[in-house]
Amino acid sequence: MNEEQIVRLAGVSRVYRQGNVEVRAVDRLDLDIRAGEFSALCGPSGSGKTTILNMIGALDAPTEGAVYLEGRNLAELSRGALSRFRRDRVGFVFQSYNLIPVLTAYENAEFVLALQNVPLAERKERVMAVLREVGMADYADRRPDELSGGQQQRVAIARAVVSEPAIVLADEPTANVDSEAAATILDLMEQLNRDKGVTFLFSTHDQRVMDRARRLIRLRDGRLAADEGRK
Amino acid sequence: MRLNTMAWRSLSRNRRRTLITSLSVALGIFLAVTLTGSGDYSYTNMINTSTIMGLGHVSVAEEGYNDRPSLSRWLRDAGGLRDTAAGLPRVTGAYPRIMGQAMFAAGAKSAGGMFMGIDPALEGTEHNFFLRSVVAGSLFAEADGRGALIGAEMAKKLNLRPGRKMVITVTDKDGELASELLRISGVFRTGDHAADSGIVLVPLNRLRQTLGYGPGGATLLAVYTDDLRRVADIRATLAGKLSSGQEMEVLTWRETQADLAGLIAVDRLFNYLMQLLVGLVIAAGIMNTMLMSVLERGREFGIMLAVGMAPSQVARLVLVESLWLGCLGVVLGIVLTAPWFYYMSRTGIDLSGLVGEDYSAGGVLVDPVLKLRLFRESALAILASVFLLTLAAGIYPAIRAGRVLPAQSIKEK
Repeated sequence: MNEEQIVRLAGVSRVYRQGNVEVRAVDRLDLDIRAGEFSALCGPSGSGKTTILNMIGALDAPTEGAVYLEGRNLAELSRGALSRFRRDRVGFVFQSYNLIPVLTAYENAEFVLALQNVPLAERKERVMAVLREVGMADYADRRPDELSGGQQQRVAIARAVVSEPAIVLADEPTANVDSEAAATILDLMEQLNRDKGVTFLFSTHDQRVMDRARRLIRLRDGRLAADEGRK
Repeated sequence: MRLNTMAWRSLSRNRRRTLITSLSVALGIFLAVTLTGSGDYSYTNMINTSTIMGLGHVSVAEEGYNDRPSLSRWLRDAGGLRDTAAGLPRVTGAYPRIMGQAMFAAGAKSAGGMFMGIDPALEGTEHNFFLRSVVAGSLFAEADGRGALIGAEMAKKLNLRPGRKMVITVTDKDGELASELLRISGVFRTGDHAADSGIVLVPLNRLRQTLGYGPGGATLLAVYTDDLRRVADIRATLAGKLSSGQEMEVLTWRETQADLAGLIAVDRLFNYLMQLLVGLVIAAGIMNTMLMSVLERGREFGIMLAVGMAPSQVARLVLVESLWLGCLGVVLGIVLTAPWFYYMSRTGIDLSGLVGEDYSAGGVLVDPVLKLRLFRESALAILASVFLLTLAAGIYPAIRAGRVLPAQSIKEK
């Protein structure tokens, strides 16, 4: 497995202001994620899991410290460059699936490739291949509202991995699906990690996810409480 | 990117709202066509009516005649000029005429008024309003005869009817008084008080003799076209073909009838302002719809931005939606407006019951039947305005969509 460092958080803090109160969601955190990891950020609500994922995914910026992804300091990128960076290097899987409602499963999975201007024939080949991998090829023409929660999450995974990003950030990916669907989704992500070397970083407090993760990064009040590497 | 597909599907998600907004665009087109169409029709009608009362769409006269009309300013070769003008493209008629003031007397009664000398062999109802309005008798037959076609109110005042005589007294080209005995051949009634009580048509050649003009003499040549938008071209072409023997001026109806041109300009401006207000109200409606749609879909735009869509692409998506909304509005507008326009351009609404017997406004006869006519330029301007307005109405919502913060909006339920 490639041990190349993909993500580095150096002294990262994120402070929000709620009225007159300052909330320190992440507090001086140092963290590395290496290529091929299947890691989970875990901790109770408010421990800073989603904030960390958002900062790694360039959806949010730290108030202190720096986030490096593949060696690049995200703070130095323009808004447009951040968009391109997200498009090309990061895949997202959200808790609530967050598929684009007006697009079919195929079109949702194709969306990032279309943004990348991948030629149509290649796009079609890659999208169908990934939909087959996640078991959604037969549902390619369905819109999100015609799919179950588990099916939507599988399409979301297809969208996240189809462009072969450096890392897939999955925010509570099993929170809104039943046990069976959760197991299927986790199997799928494990398989993608194992067979294709896709790097996954989860945020979760779901024990099933923690049981599968090979590294558990435990957070408490925005700080690193424990880093349990499991090979 | 499938922006068009996404935009269209987004619009079809809330069909009722899309339909209502499109209908407001359609209503705007309906109003714009009605306002512009009535303007195009009534202005054309007013101009044509006023020009066929004597001066033409383009007129040629001796230099200075328009500023200070006088029978001492006259064209020496109106016949030659007529031949030149009649051969120009888009010219449908050219007539030498003598116009001036005179005193008309019959028995012990007299009245001041205008005369217009015309050649009955050349003139017809198309370009002479008085010939269309004959209510008794007929136009005199000979250009050098003694016939006269008189306005109904003047005829009543002088107690005249076809067959009776009257005397016209004018000052000739040298400023001397000259009189001629005329016999009434017919009576006209236009509906305009000033015309009916103050104008008499007399034979051109007879008038030439009375005034001391030569055989080709006339105070002006009235030139007519079937396309008002071409008067400037006709004027320029005609001016370039004038002989150098006499100082002449070639003027369009805008100069010879400046009052009418001003009246139309003011009315057109008011019309445009009305349309602008209607357009702004409709644009506000579209903007409201688009803004509501954008605010409702913050999460969706957040997802698009999160997976790598550029803010400018998100903004473009909203603009495309806005344009589709405009297109739909245009289609509905055409469907809604076409039957109305068809009826109004052919039949119209007769308002004569409302305007009474005097159909004149500002000294110009107005058609009491309200009709619509739309020049191609006006139709294109309406369509272009609708597209620009819908596009403009989408700009602010588009900017808002591009500025959505993905991390926050994705959390929204």
